[in-house]
Amino acid sequence: MPADGIAAASAPGRNSAPYEGLRGLLLVAAPIALVILLVILPTSAMVLGSFRVGDGFGADRYLAFFADAYSMANLRYTVFWTLASTVSALALSFGLALYLRFSTGRLAAIVHALSLFPLFVPAIIISYALVRFLGPNGLFQLLLEQVGITGYRTPYLTPIGPYIAFIWESLPLPVLVLTAGLTQVSDSAIEAARDLGAGAGRIVAEILLPQLQRPLIIAFALVFLGTIGSYTIPYLLGPPAPEMMGVYIARTMGNLQRPDEAAVQAVILLAIASVVGLIYIATMARAGRQ
Amino acid sequence: MTARPPIAGMLIALTMVLVILGPILTVMIWAFAEQWRYPNLLPTDWGLKFWYQMLGRETVITPILTSLAITSISTTLVAVICWPAAYAFARLSFPGRQLLLFSFLAINAVPKFTLFVAIATVFLQIGLIGTFWGVVIVQMLSAMLFMIWIPTAAFRGIPPALEEAAFDLGASRLRVFLQVTMPQALPALAASYVLGFVTILLRWNRPCWLARPRSRRCRFCCCSFPRSLSSSRRPSCA
Amino acid sequence: MFNRREFILTAATVPVVAASRAFAQDRKVLQVYTDGDTNISDWWNNVIKPAFEAAHPDLTFNLTITRGVADGNTTIGQRVMAAMQSNTDPQADYFEEFDPADVEGSIEAGLWTTIDTSNVPNLAMINPAATDLPVRLPYRGSQVLIAYDSAKVAEAPKTFADILAFAKANPGRFTYGRPDKGGSGSNFVIRAIHEANGRDPAAFTRENFDPAKAEEMLQKAWAVLQDLHPHTFGEGTYPAGNTPALQLLAQGAVDMIPAWSDQALQAINQGVLPDTVKVVQLQDLALCGGFAYSAIPSNATDHAGAMTLANFMLSPEMQVSCVREIGGFPGIGWEHLPPELKAEYIDVIPVSIPTFPSGDWQTAKNDGWYKNVATNLTRD
Repeated sequence: MPADGIAAASAPGRNSAPYEGLRGLLLVAAPIALVILLVILPTSAMVLGSFRVGDGFGADRYLAFFADAYSMANLRYTVFWTLASTVSALALSFGLALYLRFSTGRLAAIVHALSLFPLFVPAIIISYALVRFLGPNGLFQLLLEQVGITGYRTPYLTPIGPYIAFIWESLPLPVLVLTAGLTQVSDSAIEAARDLGAGAGRIVAEILLPQLQRPLIIAFALVFLGTIGSYTIPYLLGPPAPEMMGVYIARTMGNLQRPDEAAVQAVILLAIASVVGLIYIATMARAGRQ
Repeated sequence: MTARPPIAGMLIALTMVLVILGPILTVMIWAFAEQWRYPNLLPTDWGLKFWYQMLGRETVITPILTSLAITSISTTLVAVICWPAAYAFARLSFPGRQLLLFSFLAINAVPKFTLFVAIATVFLQIGLIGTFWGVVIVQMLSAMLFMIWIPTAAFRGIPPALEEAAFDLGASRLRVFLQVTMPQALPALAASYVLGFVTILLRWNRPCWLARPRSRRCRFCCCSFPRSLSSSRRPSCA
Repeated sequence: MFNRREFILTAATVPVVAASRAFAQDRKVLQVYTDGDTNISDWWNNVIKPAFEAAHPDLTFNLTITRGVADGNTTIGQRVMAAMQSNTDPQADYFEEFDPADVEGSIEAGLWTTIDTSNVPNLAMINPAATDLPVRLPYRGSQVLIAYDSAKVAEAPKTFADILAFAKANPGRFTYGRPDKGGSGSNFVIRAIHEANGRDPAAFTRENFDPAKAEEMLQKAWAVLQDLHPHTFGEGTYPAGNTPALQLLAQGAVDMIPAWSDQALQAINQGVLPDTVKVVQLQDLALCGGFAYSAIPSNATDHAGAMTLANFMLSPEMQVSCVREIGGFPGIGWEHLPPELKAEYIDVIPVSIPTFPSGDWQTAKNDGWYKNVATNLTRD
């Protein structure tokens, strides 16, 4: 999807009509204005405001954040579990994309449809569904007990709970991106490698993975950015502490009524996200130029 | 690899059914359970009690209609402003084209929560908080990336040779657009509309947060589970 | 122990269409707004409305449920304020539950009717503990109780110490919600604060908050809760709200939780909780609760009618209904209610509801809980 968009960016624009530049700018003006007004301006204002101390500027509130053991624990927790669930979601969707690339028929169609299904389920529903399914005395435990497995410990209210939900929720996007990437690997290249005696492992490692580098980075960025600021899933499924930053910000702003601190937390989260965002944009730009 | 026995496929499909559908199936069963006590594998009492209870409240229909209205309006507005823009990105050359195209990524690069805190501040100042149009505008954002990128890719995927042939036959730009370009791009446009619609419809808890930034009551009561144990709003709900 | 009337169940299953129906022309229709929970709106539509129409043949009301719509009653409050400034019809007569302070400047502008015995005679019976700002009319209260499964818990807890003893003897069978995510967990934490500070709710007032003193008083409570922490469900994985806590009890994952009186009673009535679940109030000091306050705009379309409704809500008849139908706490003193009612509910309804001040104390409580109890960072 986004990958396709940029891959095709090389298509030459028609360069015939006069005032084409002006017309182009007019056509894109409305959505661009919306992005500037609702994303870029408010975010900049918030970043600026978070450095305001009295009448001047300073990093006091940031120093306070970094000196606070509780806040730092939340930050580490957020980054760790976001990375863990992103990498796991990528690994799973890579496996699924491989299967989909080399299979046809009804079974593959079912797997494909199932892997896209989470796209249509809101976070709140999957959170409650997982409580019922994986929670204590839930359906999963019941099924295990039917086959004689006891001693199930629920992941509900532990870091594993949101970890599972994150993977579940973010599966469709990387599957889409990686499946699209894999279709660009020609059958003949794989056949040739196989004729030379390469095993499945070598074909994946030496032919598919290098070709998939860019889709993988794009998928990583999309999943990471979708997970790091999440609220509903860690709030309902995770432990009370440490908190994911999204939950922490909401609590600081809403319950503790300290908007200044919330802004600092949000900017720190934004800083981490923008590193990944930049990688994403750079990857896309590189793809666009080719 | 093509000759792989279907056993592997069966296993993958089965796992997917359990993992993806398992949780949702649980909720489906619960919706028709009046009583389901551990350790029974299935509900001990089936029934529609909670459906009657929910549908019996006249307040159920209105919110559903409201959210459908907001979603339709937002998605259509996004389509109206984004599809022409996508066409421009795909077919016209103008200064800063690449940069502007990338600027949409800002929506995705900023963590959602950060973004909504920031927007809430702006909306408070201009009095859009809690209004219908405030919600519509915010909802438009969630669908914009889909509605720009997919159509841009689609317009680019149409071979310019086709359009040029039509121009050579003397057709006007508008006519070429309507009769040559649009029919080819239509499936992708429709797909982007559906994806945008679903994205907006499912993000209903976002505007809800925007709607109550100052309320001292239970801030996230909108996240309450719509089933038997409904969440509560209390006089002292801290 | 309870008069478990089937009422809530039947009332809830009957489609509520009456509210939107056109009314007989000879009745004046009051516009009432609520953003309370479903048990409250069901109660108003199914019980209060017929009773009110029977008592006042010339009046009725239309209940608009603003729960989840924009900012609930606050939005309507802002509309009424705007109507006053522009001298237009506010189309509102009565707020079932509302804090006038939510609409900035509205109290100073005289938007709300000052309530006293001259316009609401029944106010003479009010429970003194419920009195607040003169523009707020307390009419029902909720309190937090201990809900437990009597099939698993041999003896009902009578004191806070009993709960601690149960939790330690039955690891993982007790839990409470996070204090910032719902009143049931919040009021349990407050009860721990009271326990550690001489069980004197009066020691905490909105005005007496002092950071250093609060820190010292709260530390004692954190010690109590840290002691409890490893014995709770999942060794300290507190559920995120009133409903998730009830769900754990319903699933049989825990045997004892603090819960809102009305929420627990309704869940038992509907069979969501097993009927072996019982509720009990602590005898050494009750868990906290709070009152719900109604408000009447001074520019109400039918002001006299609204005052009639206010007085009606404080009548002993409706106050009894509040206790029986929604498991609420009456706004008027117990001495004005039938003695048998008090005898029936003596187990769960204490003589008074202790309260805990809002503002700084709440913030210190919630933030302190996260930093000292929920986290495993600072415990030795």
